[in-house]
Amino acid sequence: MGLFIASLLRRTVGFALIWWIAAEGSLVAWPLAVIAVAASVAVSLRLLPPGKASAISVIGLAGFLGYFIRQSMLGGFQVARLALQRRPQLHPAILAVPLTLPQGLPRMLLTGTLGLMPGTLGVRLEDEFLHMHVLDRGMPITEEVEQLAAHIARLFGVQR
Amino acid sequence: MLFVELLSNLLLLTGGFFYLAGTVGLLRFPDVYTRLHTLSKADNLGLGCLLAGLALKADSLVLALKLLAIWPLTLIASAVVGYAIAHRADRLGIPAWQREKP
Repeated sequence: MGLFIASLLRRTVGFALIWWIAAEGSLVAWPLAVIAVAASVAVSLRLLPPGKASAISVIGLAGFLGYFIRQSMLGGFQVARLALQRRPQLHPAILAVPLTLPQGLPRMLLTGTLGLMPGTLGVRLEDEFLHMHVLDRGMPITEEVEQLAAHIARLFGVQR
Repeated sequence: MLFVELLSNLLLLTGGFFYLAGTVGLLRFPDVYTRLHTLSKADNLGLGCLLAGLALKADSLVLALKLLAIWPLTLIASAVVGYAIAHRADRLGIPAWQREKP
């Protein structure tokens, strides 16, 4: 019960903050804000029951974000270079990599993040494998997925 | 404040460059999968730079926060849509483009 109330309070504060930011600090429409925040908290508690996401570690999150932003820049430059080359040097392939993260949120985060990172795009999550499309077969794809999976495991505090 | 102004303009130009490159890639790349690559990466970095540049010019802190909040929300949408389109293309049996052997 204590866990539930803590979760309820945290999410209420979070959604209220988002409303405040979206309304640019104006509280004129506060009755609407109360309804919207209450509805958001209700939906979020139903879709993601308390206890599952509360294990997220702050240090893990910082490490993950740092890694994500660094890799995003590399990916952006790589794609920009490929697009502007006279003859784009594409060597695409669809590869399958084994998944070591637990089902649910960690796997979804892995797939989503890979789609935003250099040269990789998730195509199919199936059993214990993620099939993905890569722009260049020659890149160290497996290592990259390993590194990202390690960051996500630290973020959720899970064993692999 | 000259430095902030300069940094802001630089970020806006960089953002514009990534959008341009992403659009060129969208037009030039050969199949649905490779085109999805250009879209999600350009969105990610181009939008990040644009929003950071605009946030530096914002009149108030809350407005800057609002601009920066757009970035993660767009990233979530971009990642989900990218996966959904790639997944559908794969289900329809569309093969990944390969360079022909000479």
